[in-house]
Amino acid sequence: MERYARGDEAAFGELYDAIAPRLLGFLRRATRDAFVAEDLMQLTLLHMHRARGSFIPGAPVLPWAFAIARRLLSDHARRRRVEQRLFSEALADDDRIAYEPAAPTAAADDVLHARRLEVRLQQRIDALPELQRTAYRLLRQDGLSLTSAAEALGTSVTAVKLRAHRAYVALRAALREAGEPS
Amino acid sequence: MSAELRARVLAAAAAEPSPTRATVRRRNMLIGMVAAASGLGAFVIFAMLMSESHLLRLGGEVVPQQRLERPAWLVVATAGGALGVAVTAVWLALGRGRSMLGRSPRWLLYGGVLIPVSLLVWKVSCSLAFGDAMVAWPERPGERCLALSLLVAAGPLVSLMAIRRHAPVHPALNGAVIGFAAGAWAWVAVDLWCPVAHVPHVLFGHVLPLFVLAGTGALFGRTLLSPRRR
Repeated sequence: MERYARGDEAAFGELYDAIAPRLLGFLRRATRDAFVAEDLMQLTLLHMHRARGSFIPGAPVLPWAFAIARRLLSDHARRRRVEQRLFSEALADDDRIAYEPAAPTAAADDVLHARRLEVRLQQRIDALPELQRTAYRLLRQDGLSLTSAAEALGTSVTAVKLRAHRAYVALRAALREAGEPS
Repeated sequence: MSAELRARVLAAAAAEPSPTRATVRRRNMLIGMVAAASGLGAFVIFAMLMSESHLLRLGGEVVPQQRLERPAWLVVATAGGALGVAVTAVWLALGRGRSMLGRSPRWLLYGGVLIPVSLLVWKVSCSLAFGDAMVAWPERPGERCLALSLLVAAGPLVSLMAIRRHAPVHPALNGAVIGFAAGAWAWVAVDLWCPVAHVPHVLFGHVLPLFVLAGTGALFGRTLLSPRRR
């Protein structure tokens, strides 16, 4: 990023390779829509591209990228809510869970059970308050450090720990309800 | 990760020129000069229009037979202290430390609150040492100071927003602190012009515009500083 801020145009490709996979993973998990995730990832990188001149030498890039992505995600969710209100047709295709018929094999029950558990956990993650959900995703799914996650969320490390802890408690409860060891 | 997506993102970036650090530095210096010129210009024009060509006022007739006077050293003390607060406010509003995400919300919140409080406390405590400036001036409740503060701060507010440009975390709070910083600079100018230190006058004419500007800054910040789909 430092080289790119100084005007080395080729450095943008390296920046893309370094952060795009993690950003895309975060956005895919948050939107569960590959097209929207790619679109938001592109927007995030374009925002970084536009702001390259104001990059502070030595500043961590990843928390910055995640903070932009998170803000774009909120903006996207808000727009989607408005669209859904305006056009009352159900746009809930994303939320509909399609169960494929299980293959008649010995492991079919296990597969079905695992699938249901995954769905239940995903529903519980989606039902978490936004701050807890994002803290959980940044730490557990995107592998950010506590410091980076705190920076991306614009809060303290203690607050991130607390949010993530609450998310774990909720997810453990979901596992217990499903009869799984937590 | 598809190569097609990579090519698409790189092509989109290449199609949209973005300024390098050197360009941004030059642009920010230019915007800073425009901010200073617009604030100074607004002060000179509107202060002269409002008070028969006086930019520095040391007093006047409050009621028949009673005058309000403030000595030059009091002007230097109050305006000088306010200048110190204004410089600190700009540092707080535009500085980002070592992070691209700017200062922590706690810094912004405490700093934002401290700006009007320190300006008020400094003005009143200096004026208390010279009691005449604290005299109530019934004909001057502060509406002219309020208007002048807003007019002087408008240019710097827009300019500081243009310099900050980007705040992915707490954009409204960042905008509010920028509003306070612009208001602090206006306070310095209005302090030269206004001899009244009566507390209700100062609260209405000098402190209230700071909060109006902070509110405007928060609204601007939320819409202009936050990354969103354009």
